[in-house]
Amino acid sequence: MSALRSSSRDKSIEVANARLAGILVLPTWLIIITVFALPILGALYLSFRNETLGTFVPARFIGFENYLQALVDPRFWESIWVTLILMVLAIIVQIPLGIGLAVLLHRNLAGTQFFRTVLIIPMLLTPVAVGLMWRFLFDADLGVINWALDQINVHGPNWLGWRWPAIMAVTIVDSWQSIPFVMLIALAGLTGLPKGPREAAAIDGARASQIFFHITLPSLLPIVLVIAMIRIIDCLKMFDLIFILTGKGGPGTATQTLGMLTYNTGFIFFQTSRAAALGVLMVILVAPIYVMWRRATEYAR
Amino acid sequence: MKTRIGTQLAKISSYLCLLLASFIALFPVYWTVSTSIKQRDDTFVFPPKFFSFVPTLKNYEAIFNTRGFWQTCLNTVVITLASTLLCVVISTLAAYALARSPRFRGRGSLEVGLVLIRAVPAIVIMVPLFQIISMLGLYDNHLMLIVMYAAVNLPFAVWLMISFVDQIPVALEQSAAVDGARRWQILVYIVLPLILPGMAATTIFVALLAWNEFLIPVMLAGNSAKTLPVFIAGFISTRNLDWGPMAAASALAIVPITILTVVAQRALVSGLSSGAIKG
Repeated sequence: MSALRSSSRDKSIEVANARLAGILVLPTWLIIITVFALPILGALYLSFRNETLGTFVPARFIGFENYLQALVDPRFWESIWVTLILMVLAIIVQIPLGIGLAVLLHRNLAGTQFFRTVLIIPMLLTPVAVGLMWRFLFDADLGVINWALDQINVHGPNWLGWRWPAIMAVTIVDSWQSIPFVMLIALAGLTGLPKGPREAAAIDGARASQIFFHITLPSLLPIVLVIAMIRIIDCLKMFDLIFILTGKGGPGTATQTLGMLTYNTGFIFFQTSRAAALGVLMVILVAPIYVMWRRATEYAR
Repeated sequence: MKTRIGTQLAKISSYLCLLLASFIALFPVYWTVSTSIKQRDDTFVFPPKFFSFVPTLKNYEAIFNTRGFWQTCLNTVVITLASTLLCVVISTLAAYALARSPRFRGRGSLEVGLVLIRAVPAIVIMVPLFQIISMLGLYDNHLMLIVMYAAVNLPFAVWLMISFVDQIPVALEQSAAVDGARRWQILVYIVLPLILPGMAATTIFVALLAWNEFLIPVMLAGNSAKTLPVFIAGFISTRNLDWGPMAAASALAIVPITILTVVAQRALVSGLSSGAIKG
């Protein structure tokens, strides 16, 4: 009734709203354009030139040469490979452990709030400080980790000195910081699930593991997909941790991700245009992930 | 009987898992803090000393006497606070528009823009930005850093604020409009008071992200606008792995966060869950 009566009025409110909305988002637009859109165009422009920092050779347009150079450079493919390995390891380590912890917290045992507080601390800490403290823990001579391995008669590797141990070290620290995130989102998902199906299955005599794998996990799947997409995006963005833990991608180039290669190219070797081209290639890589992310988010709703 | 023993066992193993996880979560923090109050001799020993050492504040003294340390602290606090304020104000305005107005010009592209800021690695825009900013003479400039920080944290803040605006019943604004209140009156007297708790929660998050930010200051700031994470990172190259002062500097960055987490955990948990997965 009242809805009918006020419908014309509502419309006028909404029209005013649309104009107001346009004004309210102006500062956001200003930021998107100046800090994001213009620099992306700048990167595109730079990527077709041969600009370097610190030399006085006049720069000129060189077409697609930077892209061709990148595509034939083995370091480029190695960095893509490293990035993919870190992504895959992140997904297969962090999602099961994060969901596992969420399930434990969801049981609402006494002290759950304490555990939840303790367990989210790692995700909030300064990544630079986190990288440093783990670097100390991984130290080959004085590190606590190799000391602990010694106690169970395992000879720990020189973690940050060799290729695969270094990749594992990055995954371990990234997991330490990111599992809490997976746990929190999964916990929110679990809390939102209806209890009915699980209770019905329990009454029908299903075992806890059956209920989990056949009812809980499938209904959690949309949220798991969203978590996976966010983790993939953040792996591509990972910077601070590798910068500190393995000293910008070491040993050698063993943990040099695409982002780190872009940084090293632009800010260590001062090849600005090469770095810009790598950046553009990175945006091209983000595009399909972005599409999948939107799909996953819509699916989750 | 048998099932009761089963549930008891399940309970015990749950606790064991949670305890183990908590230990893993906290040990690096403990190790950093304890290393920061150890003498040099107690740090460089094997096997490591877990409890049996004489505490000292020498490492903190060394940090406090490092050239530029206090300037760095001041920079970090000022840039964190100012950028957080800027970010929360801008994101509140945008979130109100996005939550309350289903159709306005440019809505779709605005959403795409926000998602792209979140998804595209910041290093991509850093290469051209470094050039633009150097050209404009803004390298190592506090104001520039404040705007940059606010920009990178904007998407998260907007999504978080949308979830808070959504919790305010729209009927309140409608009835005020029916009663003849003007738009600005509705915003100031009705929406603002209701949205303040949400703004407070968003402030905590954005401040945390700003406090931790590393990529922007390491590339766009020199000595005069240096922040704490860059200061900490500087230990790696300048001193040959002097763990004591390094741990002290790290502790100065992470101990405030740990305390904040314990104090504000309820707000943090609900906010992190709702703001993180929007897209």
